[in-house]
Amino acid sequence: MELTKKPLRTREMVAIVFMIVGLKGGDTTPALFAEHAQNAIWLGPIVSFLVLLAPFLVLMYLLKKYKRFNLIELTFHLIGNKAGTILGLLLFASGFVALSTDMRNVVEEINYLYFPNSPTIAIYIIFISICILIANKGWETIGSLTWALLPVIVLTILAVLIVDMRDAVGYRIFPIFGGGADVVLKEGISKSSAFLEFLLLPIAYQAFHQPKNFRLGIYTGGILSCILIVSFYALYTMMFDYNTINNIAFLYQESTEIVTLGHFFTNISTFFMIGWLFSSFLRFIIYLYIICWIFGAIFEIKRFEGLLLPIGFISMMLSLIPPSFAVNELIVRETSLQIITPLFLIFPFLLWGAAFWKDRKKT
Amino acid sequence: MFPWQKQKTEAIEKRENRKISKNLKDNIAYLEEQYSYGLNYDFESKSVHGPTGKYHLLFYSTTVNTQQLSNHIVSPLLEVKKDIPINQILSVPSITPIKNMGEAEKGLNEGSVIIFKEGLAEGFEAKIQDFKHRAVEKAENEKTVKGPKESFTESLPTNVSMFRKKIPSKDLIVENINVGMRPAMPVTLIYERDLVNDEVLENIKQRIKNITVDNIRNVEILEQFIEERPSSLFPSMLYTERPDNASNFVSDGYIAIIMDNSSSCLIAPITIWSFFHSPEDRYLRWAFANFSRLIRAIAYFITLFVSASYVAVTNYHSQLMPIDLLLAIASSRERVPLPIAFEILLMEVAFELIREAGVRIPSPLGPTIGIVGALILGQAAVEANLVSPIVVIIVALSGLSSFAAANYSINHTLRISRFLFIAAASVYGLLSLLGAILLWVAYVVSISSFGVSYFSPATPSTKSTHDTFFRKILKNERWRPGFLNPKDWDKY
Amino acid sequence: MRQFILILSLLQLAMILSGCYDRKELEEQAYVITIAVDKTDRDNIFRFTFEIANPEVGSSATTPSTNEPAQEMISVLGTDFLSATSTANSSVAKEITLEQVRVVIVSEKLARSKEFIHLMQSAPSTVDLKLNAQLVISKEKAEEFVRHNSPNLESRPHKYFQYMLDRARETGVIPDAPLVRFFQITEGDADLFVAPYASTVKKPKDSYGDEDSYKAGEIDFHGGNVTQFMGSAVFKEGQMIDSLTGEETRYIHMMDPTFPQQVILSTFVDPLEPEYNIAARVQLDKVKVKIDYKKNQTSTIDVYITTHLNIFAIPSTEDYMKSQKKRKILYDSIQKEILKNGEKLVKKTQEEYKAEPFYWSLHIRKKFLSIKDYEQADWSNKIYPNAHVRLHVKVASLEFGKTLRQSDIGRVRD
Repeated sequence: MELTKKPLRTREMVAIVFMIVGLKGGDTTPALFAEHAQNAIWLGPIVSFLVLLAPFLVLMYLLKKYKRFNLIELTFHLIGNKAGTILGLLLFASGFVALSTDMRNVVEEINYLYFPNSPTIAIYIIFISICILIANKGWETIGSLTWALLPVIVLTILAVLIVDMRDAVGYRIFPIFGGGADVVLKEGISKSSAFLEFLLLPIAYQAFHQPKNFRLGIYTGGILSCILIVSFYALYTMMFDYNTINNIAFLYQESTEIVTLGHFFTNISTFFMIGWLFSSFLRFIIYLYIICWIFGAIFEIKRFEGLLLPIGFISMMLSLIPPSFAVNELIVRETSLQIITPLFLIFPFLLWGAAFWKDRKKT
Repeated sequence: MFPWQKQKTEAIEKRENRKISKNLKDNIAYLEEQYSYGLNYDFESKSVHGPTGKYHLLFYSTTVNTQQLSNHIVSPLLEVKKDIPINQILSVPSITPIKNMGEAEKGLNEGSVIIFKEGLAEGFEAKIQDFKHRAVEKAENEKTVKGPKESFTESLPTNVSMFRKKIPSKDLIVENINVGMRPAMPVTLIYERDLVNDEVLENIKQRIKNITVDNIRNVEILEQFIEERPSSLFPSMLYTERPDNASNFVSDGYIAIIMDNSSSCLIAPITIWSFFHSPEDRYLRWAFANFSRLIRAIAYFITLFVSASYVAVTNYHSQLMPIDLLLAIASSRERVPLPIAFEILLMEVAFELIREAGVRIPSPLGPTIGIVGALILGQAAVEANLVSPIVVIIVALSGLSSFAAANYSINHTLRISRFLFIAAASVYGLLSLLGAILLWVAYVVSISSFGVSYFSPATPSTKSTHDTFFRKILKNERWRPGFLNPKDWDKY
Repeated sequence: MRQFILILSLLQLAMILSGCYDRKELEEQAYVITIAVDKTDRDNIFRFTFEIANPEVGSSATTPSTNEPAQEMISVLGTDFLSATSTANSSVAKEITLEQVRVVIVSEKLARSKEFIHLMQSAPSTVDLKLNAQLVISKEKAEEFVRHNSPNLESRPHKYFQYMLDRARETGVIPDAPLVRFFQITEGDADLFVAPYASTVKKPKDSYGDEDSYKAGEIDFHGGNVTQFMGSAVFKEGQMIDSLTGEETRYIHMMDPTFPQQVILSTFVDPLEPEYNIAARVQLDKVKVKIDYKKNQTSTIDVYITTHLNIFAIPSTEDYMKSQKKRKILYDSIQKEILKNGEKLVKKTQEEYKAEPFYWSLHIRKKFLSIKDYEQADWSNKIYPNAHVRLHVKVASLEFGKTLRQSDIGRVRD
C-alpha cells in the first residue's frame, strides 16, 4: 500500500543532479582539463556547459511539449521505432562507456590513496556490489537516499572550500586563459560530453510527482553543479600552480592533503574522504540505474532492475581492460569523450527537426 | 478448513444459540455444569427469595464488586414489593437483557452478574465488574521532567478514559474489533473521525481481522501479528506508555491501538523520527527542546558509529589521526594480545551482557551488576592487559549513548546495527563501513509503515510540521503531517 | 532463523576476511616523524636518517615507565624515500610508515648539489609522505643535526619541531616552507624558494650586531638545546644558492603576500639615542604590488608596505608618547629603516640572485592572457633583474602598549 504515488519532488531531483554532475568537481575530470588548459581548467567546464546548454534546452522543450514521454519514449515517438532504437542504443553505449571509464577512475582513486596494498579488483567488487544492491531498491529509494545523505556531502564540500581557501593564492588564476583562449575553447567543446549526464537524466522525466518537479530540479541542480565545479576547479588552480596541476591526478584529495588545521589536525584528508566516498557511491548508483533504465526503455523491459547485475559487471570487466589508471584517464577517457561529444550535441536537434516535420505534416 | 475444526465451530455455535428457558432450574443446572460449579471455587450460584419471586444470581466472586452486588442488586431484589421488570428494580448503571446462553456466558466471562427469574425466559446481565489492576502511576520508561506524569495502566476502561480526558470530543472514536477465538479479545482502535486517513484505518482493521491465532492478550503480541516486516530491524509501530504522547499522535491523525492487559499503546503508522522524539520536546521551549534533540542526535550517531569508526580508522586509516593521539593509542595497545576489531567486539559483548543481566537480575542483587561491570570489565581488564583503556572509553561511550534513545522500540535497532557496522568496518575500513551505512540508510528510506514512508517528512517530503531533527516554533507549525494524508491538513 | 544464521555467518566472514591487504594494527607500525637526508660520495645515492617516535615514552601516566629512549634513529642508504624506507625495515621490526612525517631535513651540502631536485621529485609520488611536511635545511650534515638535537622540555620529539617552527615563524626569522611550496615555486620557474635554515653547531659571531642579523649557528647562547633555527636558505631552480639572515628573512615576509603569517617581532634603532633599540610588534597589511610592465623596456615595480606598529620597549626612556615632534621623528626613522633594509634586500636579489624570493611573479601574470605569452616574457631572466623596484613604506599606526608614559629615569636615579 502506498499513500502517495510518485513521491519524489524537486528537492530530490536537485540532489540527484548535484550528485551526478556536481561532484565531478572532486574526481579526475579536472586532471582531464588540466592537461592542455593548464591553469584555466575552471574555464573549461564553463565552455562545456554553455555548449551543452543549447541541445539541453531543446530537449527540455521537446519533453515539455510532448508531456507524456521520457527520453527514450520521446525518441521512439518522434523518429520511429527503428531509428529510435539505433539512437537509443547509441546513447546507451556512450553512457555505458562513460560509466566504465569514470568508475575505473574513482576505484583507482580509492585504491591508490586509501588502500594502496589491495588489488584493484577487490575494491572494485566491493564498490560495485554496494552500488548494485542499492540501485536494486529502485528510483524512489535512490532519490530519497540521495536527499537523506545530502547534508553530509554539502557539509564536506563547504568544509573543503573553507579549508582550501586558506591555502589558495588568488593571483595563481592568472594568466586568465591558461594554455590559450583557443585551447580552452577547444578543450571545453570537445570534452563537453564529460557532463553528458544532463542529457541522459531526462529518462526520469516521468518519475517525479509532476514533470514540473523534474524541470525545476534539473535547472536548479544544474546551476548549483556548475557553480560547484567551476569554484572547485578555480580553487585547485589557486592552490597548485599551473605546472604542478598537470602532474596531479587526484586534485581533490591532494588539495585536502596539503592543508593543516593548526598543528593538532595535521592529516585531515581522510576526513574529507567520508563525504567524497558517499558521493561517489551515490553517483554511480544513480548512473548505473539510469543506464539500465535507458536499456530497459529501449527494449521495453518493465523490471529492468534485473539488468543492474549484468550491466554493472560487464562495465566493471570492460573498465579493467586498460592496463593502468593513466592510460584509462588520458587515453581511453579522453578519446571516448571526444568521440561521444558530437552525438550529444546533435541528437536533440535531430529530434527537434523530426518534431518540426511531424507538426508540418499534420497541418 | 480442516474437518475437526468444522466440528469444533459447529459445537460452539450450537451451544451459544441455546435459548434461555422459563424453567429456572434448567438454566442454573446448565450454567453450573458449564462453569464447573463446585470445582471452580470462585464461581458463585446464589438464589434470592424476594417478596415478588425467586431470583438466581450467577457470577465470579473474584471479578464483581461485592459491595455493589449487595447494595444495588441483592437488597433491591429483597426489598421490592411490586412485580416490576428487573431492569427497573436494580440501580446499577448498566443492565441489559439477554436472550440466549451464549450471551450469558459472554457476560459471565467478562465478569458480570447474570440474573434469572423464575418463570421468565430472559436473563439480565448487570455489569458490575471489578477487575483488579494497578492504579494510574508515573511513567517508568519514558520519563520527562516537564509534562504530565501519568501513564497507561493494564485496564482498558481506565486507558480509554485517559484518552477521553485528553481529547473531549465527539470525533474521538473508540472502536472495538475482536481478535482470536479462545476467547476473543477486543482490540481497541482510537482515532479522530475527521482526521484519520480511511485507507490506513481500513488497512489496519484488515490486518487485525486477518489474524487467525487462537488468542492475543496484549498489544505487545498484537504488534508482531500486524506489522509488515516481522524480521526487520526497524519497528513499524511506536510503543508508548504515555497517554499524553498517544493523544498528541491521535490528534495529528495517527491511530492508537490499545488492549486490555497492556499498560501501553501502539501508534501507527509511524516514521523513524517519532522514535527519536520525546514528548518532552513539545513541552520544553523551542531552544531547550532543540538542544536536547541535538544531544540526542549526537548520542545516536555515537552509539551507531563510534566503535565502528575506531576500528576502521585504527586499522586502515591511521594517517587520519593526529600524531599525539596515534602514539597514545599505539602505546596503550603495545601489550594487548588481541587485534583491535576483536578487542572492541569483546568489550561490546561484555557491555551487552551487563545490560542484559541488569534487566533480568532480581532487584536486591542489582548493585552487584554495577560492581562486576565497573570493576571486572573496566579496571581489571585494562590492568590485565586484555584491552586497552581507550577501548573501554569508546565502548562505555557508545553503550551510554544508546540509553539516550527516546524510545525503547528503537533501542535494539541501534544496538544490533552497531555490531553490523563494526563487522563492516573491520572488513575494509571506511570503504566498507560507508558502504554499510549507505545500505542501512537505503533500507531505512525504502521501507514504509502502513503505506507511510519511513523517512517522511524529510524525504519524500510533504506539507507537514517538518519535525525531523529539530522542531519549529509551535506557532509556525501550520500543517498536520501530510504524509499521513489526513482529512484535514490545516491546523488552523 | 535463517536470517539470523545469515547475519552470524556474515559476522564470521567479516572476522575471517579482516586481516587482508591494507589492514594494519597501530602498534605494528613505526611512525617516522623526521627524515634527514644527506649527500654521499656517490651520485644519486643518499643517506636517509629516520627518526622514529617511540609511542611508549611520555604517553600515558599509568603505563609503567620504560627506560627506552623517546625515539629511535636509523640511518640507511637509498635512492629515494620509498626505497630507503624498505631498506630501513630490514633492521626495524615494525613496519615503517612515513605518513606522520612533519619535517624533512636536508643538509646544505645536498641542497647545494644538483642531485637535490632529483631527490625531491620522488616525494610527491610517495603515497605516505604528506606534502605539507616542512622542509628544513641544516648547515651541517642532516644526520648530525638530528642526532645532536636533544630537546629537554618536550618528551616527544615531534613536539619539539612543531613548537620550534611555530615560534621561529612567529618572530618571522624563518619562512614557512611546506614541500608543496617547493614544488609550486620550483616548477613555476620564476621565483626563488626560501626554506628555514637551522644548525646545531655553534660558531658565534664575534660582535653583538643587530639582534637578528644572524644565521643559524651564529647566536651565542648557553644552556638548553643546541639547535638553532635562524635565517633561510635560498633556492633557485631547485638548487640552493645562498643563505639569508634572520633579518632578511623577516623582510621577505614583509614583501611576500602569500605568506600566511603577517605579524612579526622586530627591533628598530632609536632615532634620538641611536645606541638604543626599540622593540616592536609589527603587524603587516597584505603587501600591494603594482607592476608597470613594458615589453623590452625597464618595467617598474611599486611595492606598498603598510605596517601597524605596537611598540613595547623603549629602553632609552625617550618620551615618544606625549611629544608629537618626537613621535614624528620616530615615524620617519622607522619608515626609513624599513625602506633602507628592504631596498638593500631587493638590490641583493636583483644583482646577486637575479631573481626574487617574494613570489612577485604572481602579480605580473594578470598582464598576460596565456601561459605561453607569460613564459615568453620571462619574468625571472628578463623582467625582474632589470626592473626598477620602488618600495613605499607606510607606518599607519603606532601604539605604545599598556603604559601611558615612560618613567623618567633621571628622576628615578635621584
